[in-house]
Amino acid sequence: MVKAGRRRLSRQERLAYLILLPALGTVFAIVTIPFILVIQQSLSSDDGTLIGLRNYARALGNPQLYDALHATGVYTLIVLPIEIVLGLTFALLVHRTVRRPGLRAAIYVLAILPLVVPPVAIGVVARLIYAPSYGVLNVILERLGLIHQEINWLGNPTLAMISVASVDIWQWTPFVYLVMFSGLQTVPRESVEAAQIDGVTWWTQFRYIELFYLRPLFILILFFRLADVLRVFDHIFILTGGGPGTTTQLLSLYLYRIEFKFFDTGQAAALAVVVLVSISIIYTVIARFLPLERA
Amino acid sequence: MRRHRKPINLPRIGIAVVALGAAGLLYAFPLYWLVVTSLKSKGELFASSVHLLPHNPTLAAYSSVLIDRGFLVLLKNSVIVCLSTVVVTLVLGLLITYPITRLQVPVSLRVNILTWALSLRFLPPIAVVIPYFAIVRTLQIYDQPIALIGIYSLFNLPFAIWMLKGFLAEIPLELEEAAMVDGANRWTAFWQVLLPLAAPGVMAAGIIVFTFAWSEFLFALILTATPNSQTFPVGVQGLVTQFEIIWNDMAAAGVIAMALPLILMVIGRNYIVAGLTFGVIRDK
Repeated sequence: MVKAGRRRLSRQERLAYLILLPALGTVFAIVTIPFILVIQQSLSSDDGTLIGLRNYARALGNPQLYDALHATGVYTLIVLPIEIVLGLTFALLVHRTVRRPGLRAAIYVLAILPLVVPPVAIGVVARLIYAPSYGVLNVILERLGLIHQEINWLGNPTLAMISVASVDIWQWTPFVYLVMFSGLQTVPRESVEAAQIDGVTWWTQFRYIELFYLRPLFILILFFRLADVLRVFDHIFILTGGGPGTTTQLLSLYLYRIEFKFFDTGQAAALAVVVLVSISIIYTVIARFLPLERA
Repeated sequence: MRRHRKPINLPRIGIAVVALGAAGLLYAFPLYWLVVTSLKSKGELFASSVHLLPHNPTLAAYSSVLIDRGFLVLLKNSVIVCLSTVVVTLVLGLLITYPITRLQVPVSLRVNILTWALSLRFLPPIAVVIPYFAIVRTLQIYDQPIALIGIYSLFNLPFAIWMLKGFLAEIPLELEEAAMVDGANRWTAFWQVLLPLAAPGVMAAGIIVFTFAWSEFLFALILTATPNSQTFPVGVQGLVTQFEIIWNDMAAAGVIAMALPLILMVIGRNYIVAGLTFGVIRDK
């Protein structure tokens, strides 16, 4: 009996490998071939001769790279804290005040909708709002008597950064809300009720009870939002194209420009390798703290 | 005994109403304005004062975008690319998740595959597209839908693997085993027992992959050049970056671009958060 059982087990394993090998092999090849190619590209000149690390020297010596990193950093520092604070605030607010299941479900559906709107389409909406001479935001502000002169939202470096960031905040705050709200549902009711009998304040209840259950979710949000911020491209491309000047040219837009506007494949490939290596390091650091069910 | 009811906290409810109302306005108005602009006539675009309410609405911009500018072809390309991506991603996803959830394999294999799939989620598209562009040109599939289908499938696979793994793991092994005891082979048990049970989950994964592929812009911008393979977002971009923007056409294109994902999401609503968070957030 034991023997038969063991044999069936190994047969299952063999079947598993038989199915997995071609599937994983294909995917692995599709992922790995570009990696090898990009390293080769980064070490070659345009005619294909190997030139060592010269592309890397050019890539890292280009002052525009640091402008792009700076813009990415500023964007991240605007977007992430605001999204987390707003998303968490709304989650707490709805969790504490909205009791009716129907209303909660309605808010849920409304909150998932922004997540699936194509960023290109949101870029279009943002254009209609911020564009000079046609943007509706200036029209509204003028009618309310708040401004008397048109504000050039996309032409001023600071305002342009705020404008592109606002689009990100519009699209992704609901994601933070949804994650935090469902996290709040896992807080055991007994501990909250016990605390309420003790008469704790709103803040204490959050700080000492609920926050404990939300902690892993902060890491989760940080992980996914960071992955997305590093690949932000679409709505900025549509809204400002990286301008004015290069003030909203985030890392993705910068790489795009080097490769597809200046056709400098060597430098772009070197940058891509640097980006891939840095991101794997960030990934390795964060991933181990993720509350995922891997087994 | 009646459940103890907390006294209604009026100030807090007031804050909630104001905050939710403000948020609702901030979300509704931009979308409202998009639709209103798309319903404007060419003449109204140049009117000196802007009307916040619709004024002689017309569907002219929609026919201008779809027919005159030929965007119907781009819509067709988008549908072909997205459906093919869904099929490839789901087949690959099932081929990878079936063995690790339904067959007895070492736990380390499972963990390694899932961790590897998760790491792909962090892959920045712009860094991948630089070598992929060279590959596509070498294979002479530049400006062909297949170039997009390949890369879309790769980038959606992590979501598909994690979602499918969650759904498959929830179905009791005994059901297939019972079928196999009754003489069904593994394929029949998979096709006639497991797949019908997993169908809602597989459908949900398909919907999410479809909406992601539908929204994708960077790869489409770089890997396509003509209406032979351009997808709808590339067309939308063309309307925005041209020298003189035709606002109502641009808005109509925006409405068309977001219509399908919004409809699909109402169907797949119970799964989107689970999909986006790789199964960490399960409940609705």
